[in-house]
Amino acid sequence: MPVEILRLVVGCLFGLLVNPFAFTVAQTDNDQGKVDAVDAAVSELSEAELMEAMTLTSKAFRNAASRVTPSLVTIESYGGVSAVQGRIGGIRKQGEGNTTGIVISSDGYILTSTFNFIQRPPVISVILGSGERHFATLVGRDDTRKICLLKIDGLTDLPTPVMVDESKIKVGQWAISLGVGYGDTSPAMSTGIISAKNRIGGRAIQTDANISPANYGGPLVDIEGRVLGICVPMNPQSQAVGAGVEWYDSGIGFAIPLANAKKLLDRLKAGEYIRPAFIGIQSGPNPLGDGILINKVNPKSPASRLELAEGDILLNINDNPVNDMLRLKQLINRFEAGETIRITVKRKSTGNEEQLELPLDPPPTNAKEPLALPKIR
Amino acid sequence: MNIFGWRIAFLIGCAVLMTGNHLAVAQQKDQPSFIDQAISNSQPKMVKVFGASAGKVEGFATGIVVSKDGLILSSQGVFLDGRQVKVVLSDGAEHIATILKRDRETQLSLLKIQANTPRFFELSTEAVGEKGDWVIALSNAFKVADKDEPVSAMLGVISLRTTMEARLTKRDVAYRGELVLIDAITSNPGASGGAVVTPNGKLVGIVGKIINSSETNTRLNYAVPSSVLHEFVAGKASVTNEPQPVMERQDVEFGVVLFKLGGRNNPAYIDRVVRGSPAAKAKLKSDDMIVSIAGEKIGNLKDYAESLKSLRAEEEVLMIVKRGVEMVRVRIAPRLKK
Repeated sequence: MPVEILRLVVGCLFGLLVNPFAFTVAQTDNDQGKVDAVDAAVSELSEAELMEAMTLTSKAFRNAASRVTPSLVTIESYGGVSAVQGRIGGIRKQGEGNTTGIVISSDGYILTSTFNFIQRPPVISVILGSGERHFATLVGRDDTRKICLLKIDGLTDLPTPVMVDESKIKVGQWAISLGVGYGDTSPAMSTGIISAKNRIGGRAIQTDANISPANYGGPLVDIEGRVLGICVPMNPQSQAVGAGVEWYDSGIGFAIPLANAKKLLDRLKAGEYIRPAFIGIQSGPNPLGDGILINKVNPKSPASRLELAEGDILLNINDNPVNDMLRLKQLINRFEAGETIRITVKRKSTGNEEQLELPLDPPPTNAKEPLALPKIR
Repeated sequence: MNIFGWRIAFLIGCAVLMTGNHLAVAQQKDQPSFIDQAISNSQPKMVKVFGASAGKVEGFATGIVVSKDGLILSSQGVFLDGRQVKVVLSDGAEHIATILKRDRETQLSLLKIQANTPRFFELSTEAVGEKGDWVIALSNAFKVADKDEPVSAMLGVISLRTTMEARLTKRDVAYRGELVLIDAITSNPGASGGAVVTPNGKLVGIVGKIINSSETNTRLNYAVPSSVLHEFVAGKASVTNEPQPVMERQDVEFGVVLFKLGGRNNPAYIDRVVRGSPAAKAKLKSDDMIVSIAGEKIGNLKDYAESLKSLRAEEEVLMIVKRGVEMVRVRIAPRLKK
């Protein structure tokens, strides 16, 4: 064989061996095999059968909605402050319409989103699935999850939905959002998938179904009508009550899973007001090494009570190293006011590293206690 | 053979392996799905409409062909106000359109071009599609498609079939009629007039103009249903879109003095009841809070004032009040204001 041809053949063989794609194909052979199998199965279906499958998903969506609708309530607000000048959390003015809630226990506890009460209405009523209207009182509130608990009295047998254990929720499964915010008694639905779990400090699941004021406080259900979570506005950068509404209907939406939330719900039933954690420092990255450099300590804050000072370096929180502001925010967001964290600080004054217990405060606010029923007269 | 030759040989080896792989995958995907077919059946019936822009308002929209002799249905807007309206068919052919009719209440327009258009949408008088059904929205949002390029397709489901009042701008007449809300994001410039079809290719409606829901203050994604389109094209007056007959407004009252401290956003608490008034006859009391009148929620003093405007003296309505924690229903007829 002429030398040129030999070299060509050897060259090709060499190319086949070192082709990076050769390795990836080998590793993904299994996945490709699975995809091929599904494609083969699907391509064996006739067009009529494919159309039938599509029609069946629509039927399933409708069935899922009707399974959970008896536990879905319409919330009506009366009075309240009108929108502040400019925007609330990204929308110019809160809508005038009713909002959505979910019955979570048969004796009349209803969960909804704090977004629905931004205007602090003094009077709230709830229209049940049966059509009956009842006045409700606010019991507890969680600003880290944007949810609050209402109570209506005098009932013992309200229908409650089935909930899905958080561990069983799978990324990629169907997710259907439902809400009555558009004003019809029949809830509007949007379908999508679960996009991610353990978002926003581990508190929320993420979906690409439309999530908006039309369904904040309403359920996100699976294809069988079981509740995956309650729809809320969320934004990892801010815990303001309206933060996240600017992402409405964007393909990025959040819901708080409820099945494993018994302890949380008990706290809300007991009237707790759960608030985000706040340390009280202004800081920046440490130009000389690890950690973040404290530039300023807010007076009367948890940081000031530990006598942290300008120039101190915060190295880690609960054994998690902190080297930038985003990481600091992400770590703090996992906690709530009232909890205590362990921090390691290198003091500017002594040069020593200290481990300190830091009890967390809620953020300072000069607003009155929200949603307390104001006395009109 | 020199180094160059070795490199060529190496590359050929890589290419052979990659191509083989791709060929295997491609064979599985040749069958068009019915979504492909719904789209490819609909694309010949889609047009792009170009007119005058006015300030920030876009001068382009989408439209659908609704007859074999060049009738085009689209949304109506300022883009039709200019000197020329141009319609571009799916094959890229451009035609000047004449405007046959425009309706501000339904925000629809009917255009005519001099062309044979054998592929067109049938407009059903019945509702097409129910909540949960898959739909494909076809539109030229953002003018992405140019000349003979096919318009953009989006998949979603029908969210809700409902009757709503929605406003385009404060100045516009409110659209009061049936809407088909969908969860595909069609609320974008230039998308209005596009087609919303079922996987079977049947027309659910046309993409509506950008409007905000007053209930949620969010953008609505919706189709104007085919039954409304049919009535518009056929020229019959639509019962649902007929402007309400304007009756002479009466100044009526119930005989309650509402607690006003705090402003118009306060709930409608009764401060006192005027003796001998309809409110007194209905046994309303101080500290009652008016919850609803004739089925309309009375969220605050402003709602109460609005509600009175639509009532007539001596005509009984249902009023619901909150008394303590109780819900009390009364039938009450207002009287003419003294």
